[in-house]
Amino acid sequence: MKRRRAWYLFGGLLLAAFAGFSFTSFQQNLTPYVTYGDARSAARTVQVAGALEAGSTDYDAATSALHFTLRDPATGDNLRVRYEGLKPANFEDAISIVAIGRYDGATGEFAASKLLVKCPSKYQGTEVKEYGA
Amino acid sequence: MSGLAHLYLPGALTLWCALFFALAALWGYSQLLAGDESARRFARRAYGFFALSILLATVVMAILLARRDFRIDYVFQYTGLELPFHYQLAAFWAGQKGSFLIWLFWGALIGLPLLRTTGRKLEAPVMGIYTLAQLGILLILVRESPFLMLDHAPTDGQGLNPLLQDDWMVIHPPIMFVGYALSAVPFAFGMAALFRRDTTEWAARAFPWALAGFLVLGSAILLGGYWAYKTLGWGGYWGWDPVENASLIPWILGTALIHGLYLEKTRGRYRRANLVLAALVFLSVLYGTFLTRSGVLADFSVHSFVDLGISGWLVGLMAFFVGLSIWLLATRLPRLETAPNEDPLLSRGTFLVLGSIALLTSAVVVTVGTSAPLLTRFMKDPGQVGPEFYNRVNFPLAVAVAFLLALVPFLTWRGETALAALARKLAPGAVFAFLGAAAAAGLGVTDPFHLTLVALALLALATNLQTVVMRARSGGLAAAGGYLAHVGVGVILIGFLASSAYDQSVKVTLHQGERVSVGELALTFQRFLGREGRLRERAEVLVERQDGSSYLAYPQIFVNDRTRQLMVHPSVESFLLADLYLSPLEFDPGRAASTLAEVELAKGESRSLGGVEVAFAGFDMGAGGNALAQMASGAPVTIKALLDVTRDGVTERLEPIYRFEQSGRVEFPPVELPGGGRLAIGGINATAGAVRLLVEGVAGAKAGSSAYLALDVTKKPLIALVWWGFYVILAGGLLAVVARARQARRLDAAPTAGA
Repeated sequence: MKRRRAWYLFGGLLLAAFAGFSFTSFQQNLTPYVTYGDARSAARTVQVAGALEAGSTDYDAATSALHFTLRDPATGDNLRVRYEGLKPANFEDAISIVAIGRYDGATGEFAASKLLVKCPSKYQGTEVKEYGA
Repeated sequence: MSGLAHLYLPGALTLWCALFFALAALWGYSQLLAGDESARRFARRAYGFFALSILLATVVMAILLARRDFRIDYVFQYTGLELPFHYQLAAFWAGQKGSFLIWLFWGALIGLPLLRTTGRKLEAPVMGIYTLAQLGILLILVRESPFLMLDHAPTDGQGLNPLLQDDWMVIHPPIMFVGYALSAVPFAFGMAALFRRDTTEWAARAFPWALAGFLVLGSAILLGGYWAYKTLGWGGYWGWDPVENASLIPWILGTALIHGLYLEKTRGRYRRANLVLAALVFLSVLYGTFLTRSGVLADFSVHSFVDLGISGWLVGLMAFFVGLSIWLLATRLPRLETAPNEDPLLSRGTFLVLGSIALLTSAVVVTVGTSAPLLTRFMKDPGQVGPEFYNRVNFPLAVAVAFLLALVPFLTWRGETALAALARKLAPGAVFAFLGAAAAAGLGVTDPFHLTLVALALLALATNLQTVVMRARSGGLAAAGGYLAHVGVGVILIGFLASSAYDQSVKVTLHQGERVSVGELALTFQRFLGREGRLRERAEVLVERQDGSSYLAYPQIFVNDRTRQLMVHPSVESFLLADLYLSPLEFDPGRAASTLAEVELAKGESRSLGGVEVAFAGFDMGAGGNALAQMASGAPVTIKALLDVTRDGVTERLEPIYRFEQSGRVEFPPVELPGGGRLAIGGINATAGAVRLLVEGVAGAKAGSSAYLALDVTKKPLIALVWWGFYVILAGGLLAVVARARQARRLDAAPTAGA
């Protein structure tokens, strides 16, 4: 009986350790949605959303570096975004873009590692496509 | 609620009939529950008519789709004239309403064999609860009718999402909904048993249904993975997307449930846990439906969601069944008799429980991850977690499962096996696992955790395979379904690890005709092929491998005719140890070097074009009468340009004309250039007094740019193991279904035998 209890205790501790491990993984992996202002001061990976500022797209095919400006429809705030990767198809048609990454203070740009591009689509209104790793 | 006039009556009528008969069946079963034996026939008939009504609703919908009846809003929204017939029909489950209808269709049909296999004792509560679950979905359909009509008759629909125009679309979603529908069966059995305070029979009766659900949902997940990998070009078979997770969570819980039911049947243990698990499987299906269909995750998923305005209904449905489960579990469970746990640690029973705990834990972390946007909404900024989270937290659980599976074939229920004997039995498998892990290390797997998983997965594979072979030899293969499934788990774990942690991906831009080295490959983009019948536009890429072999890959990249959406289908080539996955990212057809040039010359100016010197001397405004007078009167105007063209030292005067009318009609007949080529006036810049000339057939007029193709080139090692592991798991499941269904039938043959 005593040994049984010891095993239960061991199992409980194991589960508790796993819960702690999961919690920290969750926290590290969580990318919160923030305003542009918060994105500039955040020291972690965040996501920002907005509309593509017309005519702000600048793509260098040779280095596959994409630059564009996001505009927050609510506040009118602007954020310059850099994305190292091929330009997503139909990029200029995007109704809204979610950029996941972190702010690069040196260049004053938001360095996105991943883009979610929402394009108008017949299927239930919109379609979201993911780009980047 | 839509007005009567806006519903397609034959369709709407079937749903109202279904509603009526579902309520009748519920009333009948409540009478039966109260002890009125004569109500049994009535209730069964009412259920039969309910199922018939749903069948009719489905048939009506299918006919409307097949007839391309665009007056029906649903048909209008999801189909179009250009769709081939099978996609036209598959559009049935392209939208929310149709998906709920196909779900209800399977649910209603499954109820028919169900009501004959519940046993007389449990029929009333099982069918009552089962019908309640169907009623919940039916209410959504009655409120948001798929038979809504437009007030006009469009000649064409809006078309089907190009991503869904795929052969997998025809088969994957309907199978998924069979799995969802099946999840209600063990739930109904469990809750009925609690309601009756009689848990002697339910487990044995629910077991084959739970296994069938495991099998069907598993198959649907496999097909979905195949779809994502082979044609959608998402780069992998699993992206931990909320929609994918919504099907995975019930499947993991269902796996825990079938193990629990097995333990209950053989050892009389685990009774309480099984009732909880049966409830969780069904509730997780409802929760997943809520997450993915209510629009709460709209910003977080690759799949598309929109709020149909049914969030409230889905929440209500969930709350009702959660409430029902909690009430029954809380009031009945504590008094439930269960065999005390006296199994020693190294026994099959204990390992089964530990395995179930691992599965349950995995289901919990996946649920928490998927719900992250909801959970964090209550904090400051809502956020989400990516695939790294899921891979990371599930890794230790995979190691634990592999360890448990490796030992289980050599453990007995009472755990008599001595450690020494166990070690002896494990020895051959351990040697195999060690060699395999050493080979993996040789291939570049250096992470000690990864090597641990490889070794344990191989050990699990070996020990279970050994058992299957032994059973098969002694004629007991039918009872070895579980072990066979475990062999598959060993295989699939290695496949998961290899394909997720060791894939190598690189993005390349290939200019046409240029040979580019990519790692150990050399790629040449040879040409771009146009559409041929149903075969879409695709690139031809020559892939040369290190061993000297080569093949032609045809990744597709095209624009959908209707939506102008860019579509890509990867080229996947399977080799013994890896798949080569070429997914197109971008295609630029380039410009052929053109001989058509355009120059603008002011009076007195000259320009040299590929060896031809053209000088503009001025306009002749009187070539066809007075041009200025013609202009003022609105008559056709003719203007002549005077050009001195010099080629090879010989100068010649050319006089091309330009005629235009007030209506906008323009004529500019070309004139021949001395020595070949033609020239015409492309336009007149009146303010600058300049002429714009079009020159054709003069070499080097304009430089071209070559076509290029941007590709994502990925090497995915051992991905075939994922598919093969899955096949083996499902084959094991199939064996088990057959064996358990046979046992459940024996219950009816000898009703006094009990559980």
